[in-house]
Amino acid sequence: MKILLMGHPNVGKSAVFNRLTGANITESNYPGTTVDYTVGYTFIEGQEYEIIDVPGTFSTEPKDEAEQVALDILADNEDATVISVLDATKVERGLYLSLEIMEKGFPVILALNMWDDAEKRNIHIDLTHLREILKVPVIPTVAISGKGISELARGVTRAEEVDVEELKRRVESL
Amino acid sequence: MKFTTEERWKLIDKIARETIDYGGEKTTTKSILAELTVKPATGIPFAVAILYGFWSFFGSFAGFFTDGFFVRIFDEHWLPWLQNVFPYEDSWLYYILVGDPTATNSFEAFGMLTSGLFVAIGIVLPAIVAFYFIITLLEDSGYMPRLAVLVDTFLHKIGLHGFAVVPMILSLGCNVPGVESTRTLETKKQRFMMMILLSVFIPCGAQIGVMLSLIPEYTGYIMLYLMVGFFVFGYILNRAIPGKSPEIITDVPPFRAPKWQNVQRKMLTKIKGFFKDAIPFVLLGVGLVNVLYLGGVIEWLSDLLAPVFTTWFGVPKETVIPLISGFLRKDLAVAQLSAIDMSGFQLITSVVLISIYFPCIATFSMIVKEGRKSGGVLRVLGGSLLILGVVVFLWGGLLHLLGMLLGVA
Repeated sequence: MKILLMGHPNVGKSAVFNRLTGANITESNYPGTTVDYTVGYTFIEGQEYEIIDVPGTFSTEPKDEAEQVALDILADNEDATVISVLDATKVERGLYLSLEIMEKGFPVILALNMWDDAEKRNIHIDLTHLREILKVPVIPTVAISGKGISELARGVTRAEEVDVEELKRRVESL
Repeated sequence: MKFTTEERWKLIDKIARETIDYGGEKTTTKSILAELTVKPATGIPFAVAILYGFWSFFGSFAGFFTDGFFVRIFDEHWLPWLQNVFPYEDSWLYYILVGDPTATNSFEAFGMLTSGLFVAIGIVLPAIVAFYFIITLLEDSGYMPRLAVLVDTFLHKIGLHGFAVVPMILSLGCNVPGVESTRTLETKKQRFMMMILLSVFIPCGAQIGVMLSLIPEYTGYIMLYLMVGFFVFGYILNRAIPGKSPEIITDVPPFRAPKWQNVQRKMLTKIKGFFKDAIPFVLLGVGLVNVLYLGGVIEWLSDLLAPVFTTWFGVPKETVIPLISGFLRKDLAVAQLSAIDMSGFQLITSVVLISIYFPCIATFSMIVKEGRKSGGVLRVLGGSLLILGVVVFLWGGLLHLLGMLLGVA
């Protein structure tokens, strides 16, 4: 079983990766820290998963070599589950890539990372409602401290493909 | 089923309106500071202060450990002890491992176990520990993208943009990750330019460490001459190489206090890497040069190249020695200059030559690897070697000319 960590640059994918796998890859506070992918392994509920930390990308149209690496990985791993990592203070921006990945038919789970920052900045996100709309697990995380990581791992087992057509109808009927 | 861009944004808009409530942001000291660091009027003095602070820290940290600690251990204990106990003073093995039996300091003995170990552990290790600490703080605090915003206009003049400052700063630690990080640049032209400029004009932390230890009084001039070269050749390359240099829009993340655990982890990884990848190369470099010396190759080469060295660059023909080992490690190459008798200006020229003449083997392999992704190895290598040759002759020769005009060469 494979898991891809995908999201915009500097949302904390490498931090999530280190937490999930116990690896030691570089985490920094600037977009573009990770320019190549790293593979790690972890056990979730007795099942071994291969996790790939993918370089940050804004959309599925590459604008540089690091994004090209990201999209090649996505294309090469059609059977993978995607953890779509979002900056909880900029959920709207992050959802664009999440949607694109859902459209491609990947089972998706959302990690709203830097949840503590969102709280500090007075941003309230109605998680229950968001889950109802998207019909995927949505987990608030603070990767740097490890908060929410075990929920995220369990969430992976519940990730499912999203019928985007139906999603559209759901959203439009709101 | 695929949506159009417009459909996606419409959906996201609706979802966000239903689920997210932006409660209105409070102004904090952190957000005020964040604002001030990107406004040119306040940001530039702030950047100068930060970089000056880091430079001073680097100098005093490395100096403290090297001069106050390692020089004593190596010169007063390790070197005399080794010279005493190592048998066969006239043998080639002694020459390769211990070096000059009459040497009184570890810089000039030139054996693998004397100068090799001293340069690697006594000088370079403290320097890179200090440097990586600084770079980690720059990375983790979120200051790096702010610096990128500040220098953006300036770098546009040479066909790059603000974010090119990231590979530049990483290269000051080590050119290898610097070259790798050029992947975040948008076009092949930018990547190609940046790889060349980095590997030619940005000296790595290890080399700067040796420079500061050996010739602290000239280090500033050398750095200045290299930086000017970076921009002059950046300007020329930008005009000579076809391709685009697009504008970018980027995120400036908020300031975050670096987490001690992360800083520690990064430092440990780098130091481990240094012991594994760098130290063997330093020792190998010393060994190789000693073997070449014993075999008469060095003398032959320096006689052969003497006209170029003495007339064009104005440095002693023995400078060929550090240029050979510079292919393995630049820090070692600079250290070897201490054994050559030359004037201050010649020292400056030699260090500049060591920096620009050819990237070290680690950087070189990284360029080959990255070149494959960015327009083909042949094109990148061929192009960079050609440019390299021209740069070395022009920029090295120009320095000699400057020296003659100033009456110091």
